[in-house]
Amino acid sequence: MNAPIPAPQVSGPQIFFTIPILGGIHITETIVNGWLVVAIISLVCFFLGRNLSTRNPSRRQIAVEKLVSMLSNLLQETMGKNNMFFLPYIGALFAYSMLSSLLGLTGLRAPTGDLNTTIGFALIAFFLIQFFNIKNKGFFGWLKGFSEPVFFLTPLNIISEIANPISMAFRHFGNIASGIVITSLIYYALASVSRLLIGWIPVIGSIPILQVGIPAFLSIYFDVFTSFLQAYIISMLTMVYVGGANEAQSE
Amino acid sequence: MEMTEAIVRAASAVGAGLAMIAGIGPGIGQGYAAGKAAEAVGRQPEAKGDITSTMLFGCAVAESTGIYGLVVAMILLFANPLI
Amino acid sequence: MEFVSIDTWTIIFTWINLIILMFVMKKLLFKPVMKMLAERENEVGSMYEKAESAQQNAEKLEGEYTQKLSEAKEEAARIMKDATDAANKKGEQIVFEAQQKASASILKAQKEIEREKLNAVSEIKKDIASIAVSVAEKVIEKDINEKDYERLVEEFIESSGEEK
Repeated sequence: MNAPIPAPQVSGPQIFFTIPILGGIHITETIVNGWLVVAIISLVCFFLGRNLSTRNPSRRQIAVEKLVSMLSNLLQETMGKNNMFFLPYIGALFAYSMLSSLLGLTGLRAPTGDLNTTIGFALIAFFLIQFFNIKNKGFFGWLKGFSEPVFFLTPLNIISEIANPISMAFRHFGNIASGIVITSLIYYALASVSRLLIGWIPVIGSIPILQVGIPAFLSIYFDVFTSFLQAYIISMLTMVYVGGANEAQSE
Repeated sequence: MEMTEAIVRAASAVGAGLAMIAGIGPGIGQGYAAGKAAEAVGRQPEAKGDITSTMLFGCAVAESTGIYGLVVAMILLFANPLI
Repeated sequence: MEFVSIDTWTIIFTWINLIILMFVMKKLLFKPVMKMLAERENEVGSMYEKAESAQQNAEKLEGEYTQKLSEAKEEAARIMKDATDAANKKGEQIVFEAQQKASASILKAQKEIEREKLNAVSEIKKDIASIAVSVAEKVIEKDINEKDYERLVEEFIESSGEEK
């Protein structure tokens, strides 16, 4: 008989090495892949943002213009004109989130499949919301805002305020991580099925043939579609929440 | 001790399965949203792009409860704090 | 690491990544593209302005030309009229002079006629006198009756009366 198939290993990001300062900084797969994503996006931006001309734009330039103007229009619609300085952050968030998720296609571990990354995204939004609320209402006005409309709702208000970033983080993480889990489960299942079907053939039987090709179709849904959607959702939610917090000032 | 661990593992697996019942809610909700979106597209085909993006956004937000269940299930299965 | 775990350093590294990415995208993508878009807008605006000013210029020039043209036409008409007037005047003068000449020559002719007439009359008078003399001679020579005599006298008187 063949050796037993190893059970699906679904584990967190592996730690490459630990810098022994400040209680040990773990350099994990997430961080390294994040750097990779930053490098890729920087390179792409470098190539996209070069040689722009006002007349006779090349095809590449038309695409870039379309992209930038689409993003800035979206930003203007959701956050208003006085929040246009968020454009680089939203663009960075969108690109980082999307490319991180798409990295799962290459077999590397997607940085967004780590809860810490998405918590990072969500915490930035949370801090921005609180910052703009304090800035626009004043510190005591901000504190008072929690006891509205009735005093005893304060705990509920605080919980709903904290639930926002948690829900954002877990939504993004859950979508990508479920993709990772399901992909590994499918690999396991396909290995089992191919062993059942062709396992008796001496040499070829040890190769899990069904693992070739079939997961690609699934990863198109779990990775490409979900990546785009989750990147859109997290940027949109950040825009809506932060825009809502900073809108009170302009009224 | 081994017995205890086995019981905890089994219970965790059952718990993960139960947690995934949370998937019912988003399923119904998203189906309803998609149906309404189809209706809206039927009524106003020219606004298809807006309707689709709004629907996807709403769906993704409505999905969060299901995702919470999924995260709980995954914690129970792969990162069980009880063992 | 655990599948679901919280690691502060990963969060911090995510923030650092995001901030780096934000500045990189701002510097390399958004700034140039936005600048280019603004430049294009300016260019298009200035083009429109130029076109508008050119159109205004053209309209102004057209107005000027039309005015000049009408002025020239007026001038031409005026010159034409002047020439016609002068010609008319000259013609009239010529006609007037001709008439004067004609009337002068008529006058002269009349005077000539008058003089000729006077001459003729005086000659006739002379003739009549001579005829009367001859008639008288003849009467005297011949016998004339009463009746003839009377007639002769009458005739003479009459003719001399006519002459007068």
